Amino acid sequence: MKISYKWLQDYLKTELSPEALTDRMTFAGIEVEGIEELGARLKQIRIAKIETRIPHPGSDHLSICTVNDGTETLQVICGAPNCAAGQVVPFAPVGASFGDFTIKKTKLRGELSFGMICSEKELELSDNHDGIMVLPPDAPIGTDMASYLGLADTCYEVEITPNRPDLLGILGVARDLSALLQKPLITPKITLPATAGCIRDTLAIENQAPDLCTRYTARMVQGVTIAESPQWLKDKLLSVGLRPINNVVDVTNFVMMEYGHPLHAFDFAQLAESRIIIRRAADGEAFSALDGETYRLSSRDLVIADAEKPVALAGVIGGDNSQITEHTTDIVIEAANFLYSTVRKTSGRLKIFTDSSYRFERDIADETTEIVSARAAQLIVEIAGGTLLDGVIDVYPAPKPTIKVSVRPSRVEKLLTVAMDGTMIKDYLKALGLECVAEAADELTFSIPPYRKDLTREIDLIEELIRLHGYNNVEPRFFPQTIMNRRKIGSRRMLQDIMVSYGYSEIVNWSFGDPEDMDHLKLDAEDDRRKTVPVKNPLGARFSVMRSSLIPGLLKTASYNLNHGAGSLKLFELNKVFFSSNEKLPMEREMLSGLATGALHETFWKEKNQDVDFYDVKGVVEEILEQLGTSKLRIVQSADSFYQAGVGADILYRNSKVASCGKIDPKVAEAFDIGQPIFGFEVYFDTILESGKVKSPVFAAIPKVPPVVRDLSFVVSKEHSVADITKTIRSTNPQLIKRVVLFDEYTGKNITPGSRSLTFSIVIGSDIKTLTDEFTNKILQKIMKKLEAKHAVEMR
Amino acid sequence: MKEELQKVILAAREEIMQCRSLHDLMLLKSRYTGKKSVLNGFMKKLGHLDPKERPTFGKTVNLAKEALVELLTQQENTIKEAQYNHALASQRIDLTMPGRRQDRGSLHPVTLARREIEDIFVSLGFDVAEGRDIEDEFHNFDALNTPKDHPARDLSDTFYVGGDVLLRTQTSTVQIRTMENYAPPIRIIAPGRCYRNDNDASHSPAFHQVEALVVDKGVTFADLKDMLNVFVKKMFGDEIRSRIRPHFFPFTEPSAEIDMLCVNCRGKGCNICKGSGWLEMGGAGMVDPHVFEMLGIDPEIYTGYAFGLGIDRIAMLKYNIPDMRLLFENDIRFLKQF
Repeated sequence: MKISYKWLQDYLKTELSPEALTDRMTFAGIEVEGIEELGARLKQIRIAKIETRIPHPGSDHLSICTVNDGTETLQVICGAPNCAAGQVVPFAPVGASFGDFTIKKTKLRGELSFGMICSEKELELSDNHDGIMVLPPDAPIGTDMASYLGLADTCYEVEITPNRPDLLGILGVARDLSALLQKPLITPKITLPATAGCIRDTLAIENQAPDLCTRYTARMVQGVTIAESPQWLKDKLLSVGLRPINNVVDVTNFVMMEYGHPLHAFDFAQLAESRIIIRRAADGEAFSALDGETYRLSSRDLVIADAEKPVALAGVIGGDNSQITEHTTDIVIEAANFLYSTVRKTSGRLKIFTDSSYRFERDIADETTEIVSARAAQLIVEIAGGTLLDGVIDVYPAPKPTIKVSVRPSRVEKLLTVAMDGTMIKDYLKALGLECVAEAADELTFSIPPYRKDLTREIDLIEELIRLHGYNNVEPRFFPQTIMNRRKIGSRRMLQDIMVSYGYSEIVNWSFGDPEDMDHLKLDAEDDRRKTVPVKNPLGARFSVMRSSLIPGLLKTASYNLNHGAGSLKLFELNKVFFSSNEKLPMEREMLSGLATGALHETFWKEKNQDVDFYDVKGVVEEILEQLGTSKLRIVQSADSFYQAGVGADILYRNSKVASCGKIDPKVAEAFDIGQPIFGFEVYFDTILESGKVKSPVFAAIPKVPPVVRDLSFVVSKEHSVADITKTIRSTNPQLIKRVVLFDEYTGKNITPGSRSLTFSIVIGSDIKTLTDEFTNKILQKIMKKLEAKHAVEMR
Repeated sequence: MKEELQKVILAAREEIMQCRSLHDLMLLKSRYTGKKSVLNGFMKKLGHLDPKERPTFGKTVNLAKEALVELLTQQENTIKEAQYNHALASQRIDLTMPGRRQDRGSLHPVTLARREIEDIFVSLGFDVAEGRDIEDEFHNFDALNTPKDHPARDLSDTFYVGGDVLLRTQTSTVQIRTMENYAPPIRIIAPGRCYRNDNDASHSPAFHQVEALVVDKGVTFADLKDMLNVFVKKMFGDEIRSRIRPHFFPFTEPSAEIDMLCVNCRGKGCNICKGSGWLEMGGAGMVDPHVFEMLGIDPEIYTGYAFGLGIDRIAMLKYNIPDMRLLFENDIRFLKQF
């Protein structure tokens, strides 16, 4: 539904800008779906004065004018015959846009023109294109035409939810906003004009379908003059997207937009036997509507008929046989209400969707019927003249009793946490038209106005209260109930599952440790793992502290199993370790540690088996760290003494040690009675969880162009790490070098001792274009140069 | 000349039928049907014939050629089919040799049981809370209504690491920590490790428990009974019921011991349930109002229940593990069974 900002102001004076009002409407539950600036074209047009006019020397119909628009004087070539010096005119300067055409500086037959003097047609004010529009001499020079004509307006396209038929008219929206903005609502004053005669002597009405037509009223005006509507009325209708037709029809449309209750006007002369009969249509009955179509009706449709024929399809569309024409003198104003489901079914079946059906099918109130009838009668007499017949015919078979609903302030607070006392509740609801009819302790009873059919229960009133009070004014309340650390529990399971998928078996050891184990691990005197928590009454010396590392337990388990016939093992434990602290309660940290020894895989007949090495445990750690969401890891020589020097790595993330891996020092292994190479790793689970949130994967567009893969082989001193070399390669062109993968390492024959041969696969690709050979070669050359300079490599 | 043609054709047919290689077949094709072929030679000799005989003989040569082409195609297909069949036959493999598999490790049965317990309760709307292993006496005993001189506080029962700091003997500590930090409604389970100064076939000094705590308005003894039944059924199957018997715990009132129908004999009586038909699962009860009062929860408004179950025992029953010590021995031959 369309609502005009200016029209709204007729019922509610507000200083809020159109934009601010949009916001308030949205938060009152009237969703603004679109905003249209009306008079946008006229805003560019300035009122100007023609100072001089001389005929164009090169043309017999053009004239050269100088025009003053209040700021400057410009030369304009004008082709209008009525153009004369001294006239005040609408002037479109250079840059003004008329839909698809824009005013530019032009040359007409050798003379420059800086704008255009406009006709009424060009301004879409009328169809008059005989000449330029001439304004009264006192029209203010420099003012824009939209302001001058009062046509600047904002039109809102609003969505009215199905529970609020009361908002189907601008007055209804104003009522809601008045409650919201706490500004008085200005309702139109309806004063019926002087009457003559009596409607009952002139017109007879018979309601044969009281179940489908809940109320029917008629008033009559005799002797109207059908003409164009006055400008203000036309402007009003245009501002909400309605086309002006004639003064009587326009009034009915105006009142419909005002109250949200559609009306219809019949040409009385066309009503056979001066009768109106409300009845179900006969099956197959023909009806020719205002839209020029003829429809076949069924007995499910409700029609308004005269003695012979249907003259309107109730609530949907009028008939062409009884419409107001220029010859009409006497009219019947129909204001009625029809069962919404009948209107919806008829409109849907016949595919006739009108402003009228849109409203009736939303179940509007019976009570407004008489009001809009009076309002229309008043305006028609005012605008189209004529005499109102005395009285109104009002067929209202079953008026509905007023509904009363109670609300308990205690309940309001309980539900919303917002405390409202009786006065506050009464104020809010009164602004919506609800009258407090009874007040008891913790209970206020309100009578519900008929147009608010949606308010039938206490909870409905509570909803209104908080809507007016503002959803924004409810303080969010937080009860900490996020007891479960889903990330920790989920990550723990993920780690366990990764370990299982890598062939590791989980072990569970007691939490007790043997202080001697710290010596077996060759730990420094200062090592944190020496700060154990002693048990006062232990099971024995071997269980006399709380363990500070999972490694000794794992080594003991490995030893046990190796001594019981196992040759290869992959074991892990995910559990707590403990450290004494200055706090009353010692520190508890969760760790994942593991060991691997022997064959890398279970025997497979097709392949020669390999033994576990450093890169196997490193791979597991890399996988875990990636899955836990860490990135940009740094690898340094391990500080842990139980790894063999040079074959142990610490992995740092944001400068914290998050993992380590390496070969267990043979002497350490021996202390645990293990004689074969054994590799271990540790993941500092709690440290990683504390180091920040895991980033969700972010999709990167899949390149449309396949990348180029080039291999690069060179001999380089062992002093240079693969990490450094990879970095050097990438840094040559980080944008285009997508991946650098180590392909091969070779030492031995033909390679100087202390050096090694490395082969890298380099993936080069652009997301937008195919790279030429020439271009990729250039990149490779750059890479080689850089490698030679930085790492003294020797290309092979 | 007719006889000569017959001869040539017979020879050609014989050669084609005998041919077993595509290469040889191609040579035959060129020899008999190509431009310089024998058959074309006959066509060239047409001039030597009586003009009357020419059309008939020409036709005969052409038909013979067509027949040979047809035969060549047939033989080509035959050779191809034979080659295909031969190739397939040579590629037959021993289907019984082992497939390539990723090595798979194993999760510890205690982990498996714990996961299943967590999943069941989470699906019933519980949060999983976790607590400390090393606790103070307040959270392990005082707040749980345990008198100062209660025997459970003895060094022979409880491991101490400092003055009033100890290794928790029960996961009920998490009840207290949760009620200290969160307002009702509370609906948690707390799985974790506990310690008691015991070491024999059915007791381990470190063992695993899961605690449950529900605090809300209108929580009743009936809700507790139902929750225990629901859990036992979900964990062990629909035919396994639970029952509760009066018992004493300092922090619940009324208190109960939980039994479930023996998973082995289903109530008939066997050596696992020592003939009773029932297995002891843990303790339960309604949270003692005094516990609530100590933690600032109004017992007139809120009620609650709590229960504790042994995870190790559940794992043993679920996976038919006869001896608790197997759980902590970590023999790979045991671990790999899960």
